[in-house]
Amino acid sequence: MKKISVRQCGMIIVMCIFANKILLMPSLMYQQTSADSIFVLITLFLLDFVMLPIFIKLKESYPDKKLYDILKDKLGVVITKIIYIAMLCFFFFKCLLVFSVTYVYFKQQIYQDEFIFMALIAFLPVINHAVISGVRAFSRTIELFFGVVIAGFIVCLVISLFTPISTPDFFISSGKEFFSALYNHIFAFGDFIILFLIMDRIEIKKGQAKRLYFYSIFAMILVVILFYLFYAKYQITAFMHNNALADLLVFSVQFNAIGRLDIIAMLTIMFITLFQMEIFNYAFCDCFVNIFPLLNKNYSIVVFDILFCILYYVFIGRYETMVTSALFWLPYLAIVINYLLPIVLLVILIIRRRKIEKKDKNLV
Amino acid sequence: MSYFNVKEKIEEIKNTLNNSVDFSYRLYKKGSQVLGFIFLKSIIDQSLFSSAVYFPLQMYDGKITIENLKNDILKCVDIKEAKEKDMISEILDGKLIIITNFSIKILSIDLLKFPTRTPSEPPTSPVIQGPREGFVEDLQTNVTLLRRRLKTQNLVMEVLRVGSQTQTKVCITYIKGIANKKIVKQVREKIKNIKIDGILDSYNILFYLENRPGSLFKQIGNTEKPDIVTSKLLEGKVAILVDNSPIVLTVPFIFIEDLQNSNDYYTNHHYSSFVRVIRLFGLLIALIAPGFYLALQLYHYNILPLNFLITIADTTQGLPFTPFLEILFIFLLFQILYEVSLRLPSYLGLATSVVGALILGDTGVKAGLISPPGVIIVALSKIALYTIPEQAPQITVLQLVFIILGGSLGLIGLISGLVYIVNYLNNFDSFSTPYLAPYSPRIPQDLKDAVFMDPIYSMRQRPKSFSPESKERV
Repeated sequence: MKKISVRQCGMIIVMCIFANKILLMPSLMYQQTSADSIFVLITLFLLDFVMLPIFIKLKESYPDKKLYDILKDKLGVVITKIIYIAMLCFFFFKCLLVFSVTYVYFKQQIYQDEFIFMALIAFLPVINHAVISGVRAFSRTIELFFGVVIAGFIVCLVISLFTPISTPDFFISSGKEFFSALYNHIFAFGDFIILFLIMDRIEIKKGQAKRLYFYSIFAMILVVILFYLFYAKYQITAFMHNNALADLLVFSVQFNAIGRLDIIAMLTIMFITLFQMEIFNYAFCDCFVNIFPLLNKNYSIVVFDILFCILYYVFIGRYETMVTSALFWLPYLAIVINYLLPIVLLVILIIRRRKIEKKDKNLV
Repeated sequence: MSYFNVKEKIEEIKNTLNNSVDFSYRLYKKGSQVLGFIFLKSIIDQSLFSSAVYFPLQMYDGKITIENLKNDILKCVDIKEAKEKDMISEILDGKLIIITNFSIKILSIDLLKFPTRTPSEPPTSPVIQGPREGFVEDLQTNVTLLRRRLKTQNLVMEVLRVGSQTQTKVCITYIKGIANKKIVKQVREKIKNIKIDGILDSYNILFYLENRPGSLFKQIGNTEKPDIVTSKLLEGKVAILVDNSPIVLTVPFIFIEDLQNSNDYYTNHHYSSFVRVIRLFGLLIALIAPGFYLALQLYHYNILPLNFLITIADTTQGLPFTPFLEILFIFLLFQILYEVSLRLPSYLGLATSVVGALILGDTGVKAGLISPPGVIIVALSKIALYTIPEQAPQITVLQLVFIILGGSLGLIGLISGLVYIVNYLNNFDSFSTPYLAPYSPRIPQDLKDAVFMDPIYSMRQRPKSFSPESKERV
């Protein structure tokens, strides 16, 4: 089986951590919890981070087994399929949301009055091809462009320092607002779930697991810095700026003298969006193939494309409705996938360990 | 007891070779002993035949036996016994066949000689420093050029015959103990499975070796320089030499190889690194410059600095074509001029360049049909293409693809195209070697000789990408 290295796996996590968080989310969160959104972000990151050791332990216990097979053995086919249907929806909506948010940015910046399917025409063949090529091929692609993406991201952060910024006001939102924001934005998290889906494709040699922690922490720190600089730059008007990473570059007077630097943010966002969509589409197709074992990957791609085009067409004219609905409905799905599933896996691990201990005692 | 009726046998062979115009034979009689010499006079060294075979035989007084012939009489180096069924193929290979009426044994003597070039600097890989020798069409000479550089008992050269009519010799060359056995086996199998009537050049077998036949991208390395082949063999690769071809194929092949040039190894490594970065940059410009210019002009003009935007607006005002058609027109014009200049004799080629560059280009701009920035961008990309000439064919096709993507979808189209291509390349391995190694996947050990180059003394290990049997160079 074609496996991916821990380094490639770490880069996939970085892309997932960036997903749904670098454009619209800072301003959305600001509407609820002002600058305290940074604490909401950190809390959600910490909750996510718990999944990583669970994944590593699960991988150690079942080195070459697929998540589907583990769940099927422990919970039966029906429950496993229900979990997979939930995951399928989870990744599909994540993909739709990532694309829609990016599309709105592109529309403002580039396409304006152009045909609404243009970005889709450019993206869909690439992400479909990535799924057909497999996780090894697209993780290698991410590996090749990773330096460019991270450099672009960091340059955007650094350039924002060339405008007047001041420390935002913290601790002004109530506990209710804080928890409400936590709940509403759960869907944008759960970035480590992808690892469980591709666990049989990852090759973790002894002592390499810590690299996953490194990549995760690195990406989380970058996102936290992005939030901080964004709030520090825009203060109370932050809710008006929907494209955080790109808007960081605006008004950077010193750099504008040598030309418009929006292109750095634009290219970075294009790469990140493409890679995120590749990952989510792959996850969707993997779930689909497990739910319908008689259908192959090509069917899953066709289903994804049809659903994606329809929903994109329906929602893109009602972007705000879509975002509001996502904040209201999708957390239900996210709670199941982000927290319930890892708990189930943790229980499976504990039971397995106890069984082994019991067996060892009997042998003694 | 007579073993062969020499005359009859000669007639039989003559008929088998359809009374070929270059078929020749001599009979030598001494008492009851008859010897027949059969050869093709077009491909043997006739003076050597006289001096080393016929003359010593005439001077010999004793009884002639096969053993005598082999050990005492004939003054040739390569004498061996042949089987009767192989006689025809031996004659076609430039051997002199000796049959007698006193023995069942047949002697085959290598007297092959045909016009060959002397090794000279190949036109495709000129060097400023370093060896200037290049391979020629003669396999034996090419083997000599390699053997001179690799004085090791582990150098293996396996010869296979390919082509039902041409019976071309294909020589699989590798260093035992360094080259990966699986790769050698794969190459051997692929060559054995070639079913074709004729192999005229190494490019004829190239397509049979590719893992993805029909792909746009180069999958097999090729060179005309023995020093390059030697260094590749030392890295653990397998070389394939084909008789009648000066081009030697090497596998596995990875993309970064075309970024490397033999000059890099004969100069300061800092400078080599710098030049490699320039080549990579050139490749990127060649690939996306026209598409990028179009994307900026059509969709992203607001990200251009104002002065630059005004210049473009001034020069493109009043053009009859859309920017997309304009770039496409200039691109095709350049490509036509290039094709013409390749095929015309040099004295006419110069005239074509003058007509193309001055008359078509300059007049086109003055007449307001094309804009100067358009001409500059396409010309720049065409020049940049030759920073890595080995990649020119595929990049030329991709230039057109990126012009279409940039012109229709803007920057998103370009980035999507780039990611698509990288994904595609990441999905095909050349003989189990990742095509974009050592960057994707990252192989730290192999980065010493990638875009940035370390000094040669620090390259103590063979590239891991090619999975050599022996990892250490010393």
